[in-house]
Amino acid sequence: MHRSRALLYGAMVVIVTVPVLSGPALGVIDLTTTRLDGVGEGSATVDDVEVSDTARFDRALSSDSYILKVPDARIHVATIEGRPVVGYKISIHEMGYSRETSTILDTGDTGWVSLSLKELTLAPDRIDRQSYAGELKLTLRVNGTSETLYEGNMTVEVSE
Amino acid sequence: MTPADAVEGHEQTTESRTVVIRERLAQAGAVALRVCVGTRLGLVVFLGALAFFALYWRIGLFINDSYTLANALVALADGHLWVGEAVYGPGLETPGMVLHEGAYYGRNYGQIVFSLPFLWAFEGLAAVADPGLILSMAWALVIVALGRESGRLLDRPALGASAGVICALGTFAANVAVARPLPPRLFPIVALQVSSMVAAALGVVTLYRLVARIHDRRIGLAAATVTGLATPVAFWASLPKRHVIITALVLGTCYALYRSRLTASPDDLVSPLAFRAITYGLVGLATWIHGGEAFGVFLPLVVVDVSTARSNDPRSLVIVGIALFVSLAPFFVTNVLISGSPLKPPRVLSSFQYLGTGGTTSRTGWGTFVQSMIDGLPPAVAAPVTTVLTRSSVLFGQFFKGAGALVADPGRLYRVFVRGGDIPAVSEANFSQTFYLTVLEAAPVIAGVAGSLAVGAVGAWQFLCESPRAAVTRFWSRVRSRFRLRSRPRSWLAPLNVSPARTVDAFVVALSVSFLLMYISRLPLHAQLTVRYLLPLYPLAVYAMARQASLRRILAAHWRSGLWTWAGGVLVGCQLFVVVVAARSLGRGEAVQVHALVGLAAAGVFAVLAASSVLTERFDRATAVAGGLTAALGTDFLLLSGLVYFQYGQYALPAAGWVADLLATA
Repeated sequence: MHRSRALLYGAMVVIVTVPVLSGPALGVIDLTTTRLDGVGEGSATVDDVEVSDTARFDRALSSDSYILKVPDARIHVATIEGRPVVGYKISIHEMGYSRETSTILDTGDTGWVSLSLKELTLAPDRIDRQSYAGELKLTLRVNGTSETLYEGNMTVEVSE
Repeated sequence: MTPADAVEGHEQTTESRTVVIRERLAQAGAVALRVCVGTRLGLVVFLGALAFFALYWRIGLFINDSYTLANALVALADGHLWVGEAVYGPGLETPGMVLHEGAYYGRNYGQIVFSLPFLWAFEGLAAVADPGLILSMAWALVIVALGRESGRLLDRPALGASAGVICALGTFAANVAVARPLPPRLFPIVALQVSSMVAAALGVVTLYRLVARIHDRRIGLAAATVTGLATPVAFWASLPKRHVIITALVLGTCYALYRSRLTASPDDLVSPLAFRAITYGLVGLATWIHGGEAFGVFLPLVVVDVSTARSNDPRSLVIVGIALFVSLAPFFVTNVLISGSPLKPPRVLSSFQYLGTGGTTSRTGWGTFVQSMIDGLPPAVAAPVTTVLTRSSVLFGQFFKGAGALVADPGRLYRVFVRGGDIPAVSEANFSQTFYLTVLEAAPVIAGVAGSLAVGAVGAWQFLCESPRAAVTRFWSRVRSRFRLRSRPRSWLAPLNVSPARTVDAFVVALSVSFLLMYISRLPLHAQLTVRYLLPLYPLAVYAMARQASLRRILAAHWRSGLWTWAGGVLVGCQLFVVVVAARSLGRGEAVQVHALVGLAAAGVFAVLAASSVLTERFDRATAVAGGLTAALGTDFLLLSGLVYFQYGQYALPAAGWVADLLATA
């Protein structure tokens, strides 16, 4: 009984002490470093890119809306330093539409890294053709500069 | 007396004084604990609910009218009611904000004031501890307490304490490892969310206490667990809107009503009459959050309470009236400060769209008919009639509108309670995504209410199968025995002869009808997700299940089957959902519909089995399994909606955010 009480109070002391140590009053250590620290800084060399040349507008499950599904793109990272950002963007000019999802790379991310675009749902009346011409763009953003990794056309097919 | 004696004597008095103070503090703590959560098991339920809600707690605002509350909280923390600056959101003109005489005001001030102490506490803690770790710390401490209390409850204190400590330290370490800073800008939002979660947990505990008192602790625990882990109460727990708090107050009202009907016992802290006063006091407090909903609780309460109270003598009525008036005081004061009139809450200032007021109403058939009647009256009579009608239409308009909507389009009940899917107007406003869930889709487990419906059907059938003459005679004798009138002439206040539990049953039914009528004309609606307007109905449905004898029999005999099915359904089910959604790369609306369809199928099976359980015991185990499965599907939706489908803002527990990131890339 005595031991379990000691255990209990010991644990509580640890749990309370850690945030205080990292707190503004003492500030002995900083345990909450922001994840955005150093984002977009560093360098990376990408030596290969794989993208799909088709995407689809699928009918959503149990609704008339369409969902834009773009297959993941893959990039091959040869060397990396810091935390560069890769933007994966699709534009469909005929619809006046574009969407980009950014991925933060981290120091360990060498080799093939896959990038996905967040899914998008469109009302049924937005779609009135069999297919649309799309444009894909992959951009590497480091130290305030941006480098185009890939730029090309793709077809967005509307599936019924 | 020597000086030494005097010093010793002085020390002794200080010592005994400290002992007295400590004892008093302990006593006060025990009383507070008893008032808030009841027993030790109640405390475990409370802590467990809090711990669960925090798993998928995202710090941020989910619906744009929460900006209003957050900005109003910031203003109130600055010491004024008017909102000067849009700290959150696109500007001050967010839904629910009102403009009155050149100043902006929020709404739901009861909720905002309730959040204020949480904000102060958090700001105080943030002065010494790292804000990004405070919530992880609090959660770990909740887990430690949960382990300790569970252990004491199960007579294994050492085991409970060590299990709690190990879990707490493990998760705390994980949280610290991936911790992120929490900017001070988010403190008010944290406060709003914590207050909402505490209210949700208190609501869950109150349901436990009510059911445990009517039946036993096991049934109470089951009802609380189902409500806290498998219904949208948990979905809205960390989303700071009024629904959860109103739900908690509704459950408190049910509990106080029940206690007011019990015979006084020396163990009680307060008398049954005081509980009756509390019943009304809670409704009065609800006005401070949403006057309309409070009225929707008040109306059935008055009907059920006055007609079933043991005594409606002047003393009781005066005490109840005083309690109600006192509880309305904060509402009145806030209204006076904002609008200058105690009866004009902020909500009324902006959206006054009831029948017969302001000329902005849509004339219904009924309204036209009434108007033509009034036009036929002489002006001296018409004026007061119009005034009365205008005043009462403000209060009753919603109910009439709801009844009218139900008569005109009963099909909407199906779209609100059974299957939603793609409802054009709703989906369009939901960004073309089908994330509208009906009551049954959001909480398949409440399909067990079919058992109660079956009891009614069986009763009616038996009744009709007798010879009509005998049936009529029996019906009359029953009615007479129910309405056993007192010999005194003030018979209109004579109570019906109803048991305490039956009183609550009647209140729950009347309350559900009241909420349904209040909102059905506006449903189905976008941004509801789980028909949040009807949130109090979920725990009330669970209550109805707990009151169902055949379901209690099944729970007593087969609770293990139900529990294991639930555990399996959560562990395996969550993964299956994630795999299906990832493999077919389903969008958010689609993923929600997968939950809806699977939930509906399971709910159908459970409903049939629960109904059959009234007639036969043959399928009891299968019913327990089906019940466990439906509950698991509810839990799956809560966890996955929190961790996968609806991501906004950083997670309160950084480790949960890490898991969410992992699932997002899957």
